[in-house]
Amino acid sequence: MIGIQRKIWTLAAIVMFIMASIWITLTYYNQKTQDQYDDILQRYLLMNEVTSESSQTVNALNIYLLTPTEGNLSSLRRVEQRLQAAKSSIVTLRNEKNDFVLTSYMNLIDSLMETTNRSIMFKSERESEESSKAFAEATRISRYISEMTLQLIDIELNTYEQFYRSIIEQAEELKKLGIWILLAITFGLLLFTYWFSLSITRPVQQLTKAAQELAKGRFERQIVVNSSDEISFLATTFERMRVNINNLIVEIREKARLESELQQSRLLLKESQLRSLQSQINPHFLFNILDTLSKKAFLEGAEETSDLLVSVAGLLRYNLKRLDRPVTLYDEVRVVRQYMEIQSARFTERLKLVTQIDEHCLAVQMPGLTLQPIIENAVIHGIEPLEEGGMITVKITDADDHVHIEIADNGPGMNPDKIQDILEERVVEPEGHSTGIGFGNVVRRLRLFYGVSDVIEICSEDGQGVHVLLKLPKTRRSDTYDKAIDRG
Amino acid sequence: MHKTISLALGSICAVFLFFTMISAIRFVQSSWQPPQLQTTQDEEYRLVLVTKDLGTPFWNEVGEGAKAEAQKSGANLEIWGTYGEDREDFLKQLEIAIDSKVDGIIVQGMDQDAFDNLTKVKAAFYGIPIITVASDVPMSESMRKTYVGSDAWEAGKTIGQRLISDMGDQGQVVLMGDERKEYDQKQRISGIQSVLSQHPGIQIEYVTSSDEEEQISAATQNVMNVFPEVKAFISVDANLTPVMVQEIERRSQVEPYYIYSFDDNPNILALLRRGKIDGMIQQSPVEMGETGVKMMLSWLTGETVPLNAQGYMTQIRMLSPEDVQ
Repeated sequence: MIGIQRKIWTLAAIVMFIMASIWITLTYYNQKTQDQYDDILQRYLLMNEVTSESSQTVNALNIYLLTPTEGNLSSLRRVEQRLQAAKSSIVTLRNEKNDFVLTSYMNLIDSLMETTNRSIMFKSERESEESSKAFAEATRISRYISEMTLQLIDIELNTYEQFYRSIIEQAEELKKLGIWILLAITFGLLLFTYWFSLSITRPVQQLTKAAQELAKGRFERQIVVNSSDEISFLATTFERMRVNINNLIVEIREKARLESELQQSRLLLKESQLRSLQSQINPHFLFNILDTLSKKAFLEGAEETSDLLVSVAGLLRYNLKRLDRPVTLYDEVRVVRQYMEIQSARFTERLKLVTQIDEHCLAVQMPGLTLQPIIENAVIHGIEPLEEGGMITVKITDADDHVHIEIADNGPGMNPDKIQDILEERVVEPEGHSTGIGFGNVVRRLRLFYGVSDVIEICSEDGQGVHVLLKLPKTRRSDTYDKAIDRG
Repeated sequence: MHKTISLALGSICAVFLFFTMISAIRFVQSSWQPPQLQTTQDEEYRLVLVTKDLGTPFWNEVGEGAKAEAQKSGANLEIWGTYGEDREDFLKQLEIAIDSKVDGIIVQGMDQDAFDNLTKVKAAFYGIPIITVASDVPMSESMRKTYVGSDAWEAGKTIGQRLISDMGDQGQVVLMGDERKEYDQKQRISGIQSVLSQHPGIQIEYVTSSDEEEQISAATQNVMNVFPEVKAFISVDANLTPVMVQEIERRSQVEPYYIYSFDDNPNILALLRRGKIDGMIQQSPVEMGETGVKMMLSWLTGETVPLNAQGYMTQIRMLSPEDVQ
């Protein structure tokens, strides 16, 4: 991960490096030029020195010839030594072009010193004429030296002309180069800085965009940030947050859905209860009357009627009480039996109930008043229309983690459209004389109760009756139904 | 957007980088190294050719010949001298050459005491060999090692013979010479006289002048006044010829006169080409230069010691106007 700080450091380092290298180059070049200028100046100075020393030699010689004292002689010797030194330093000026003249020049200096010595010698031997002749010659030679100095300087200028020009040209070029470098570096840095700032701001922008998306409530889009710095870390964290929020939202939606389903089921229950209540003007009054009727019938010896009345009372009580909480299959079967007793009284021989019940399965929990409406449906549609009566089979079997309840009749069968309506829980207008709870209602409550949709199968063939199979899980997926009921 | 900006900045940057590169290359290329310094002196012989007629075609050719020869034999030759016969300066140059202790001096001879003094005393004192070239000064006076150049006597004789064959053996002939009467001029005159004196019908008038223009024209006028019958002019100093011809031309036609000259003045060839003069002695300056250097080197290396004191003669040729058309 390249941190933003490191990026900034890198940029600064690159800028520093470029600056430093340019500075070093310029300094190096300036130093070089300075050295060259020094060299050139040194050459001219050396030549000038020879000229001045030679004329001083002549001057000193003149003084000595006028007043030949030891002091003047020694001062002449000193000047001569200086001339000798200048001569030896002039050797360093030799190059291809001035070789000849330089040799001549040095020989001229030698000649000057020889002539000077000759003059001194003649003077010491008191040959004045010879001495002054030699002095005149020395003077001439000294003049020749200064002329040759000019010639040397001339050669020097010619030889070095191109060099001097190149120095000037180079300085000129350097100025241009400096401007170009400045421009190139300015724009290079601009470009680099632009890229660099992009590498920081682009992830930030991407992140901002993602945040805006989230703010608008779009949690589905994945957050992608092309970066490898701190922003990328932020983005990853942000992405994780988004995923979490998304999951939470999905969960909340699920919950809301369940909630609404519960609401619906509660409404359904209310409806059931309402219908029950509508059908029972005053249940207790009715129970009391039924009890009284039952006892009266019993006292009057109509035991069958008495039993029937008890069944009716029990059915009514169950209807009133058991709608709002889960019951066991055992209770349901009992109610079904009571119902069938009542119906048997009505249909006498025409109705036959065959039960085949696995007693182990009776403890399974289920919503109240589930079987009775189905049986009732079978009675109304399967038995009633048939003059010769029919048979209803109730079969409860254990199927591993499910309890299977099969209810079959041998009536005329059911219209497939109607089956479809029931399975899709559409409200079906109850037909006249039912207890009031429709088949659709039952299906709905079963599904809500177990939290699975695959709880019922209905198959029917023309003339073969209706075959209803309930598949009740032994364990419920959730008990939200209960809670919701409790609250309600 | 980002791409456009990047592209724009990038291309600008690339353009500037390109110019920077060009400028940098130019900058590097513009550096010119100073000439290599030399730590040791050349072992070659240092020779100096001194003349007082620098820049004339004649001496240019002498110089070329000498240079070529020097280069061939590995000697270092410098040509010193003065323009337009500045004798003072010429002598100074000679003295500088001697004081500079060159290995050998090839010098245009000048028949003058100061010259002789330098060559005989000072050069001998420093042990510097001197060879005269083109103009000679006798060995007895100059202590020169040898002379390289045209045989002046022979040249005079050639002109004399040509005059006789052109003019016949009757007539007045004017010899125009420099009043300084240098050695080679004397030689030329004696060469001419050696031929003309055999013909009694020919009278010789010797006229001298300095090399100033008025002097020459005055002398020419004078001689033409004094000797109206003059038939031929021989200029023994080439430097006098142009003014002389001009003066004659001013008086009358030049055609009737037989005019002869030597070639060591740049204007002579043009005069010959225009037919103003009837003949010119052409010398071999290149050969003089070459031979001069050659002889000097052979003396310095000890190949030929002593050199021929009489001198080494170079070729001469008589040229007519027809030859140069």
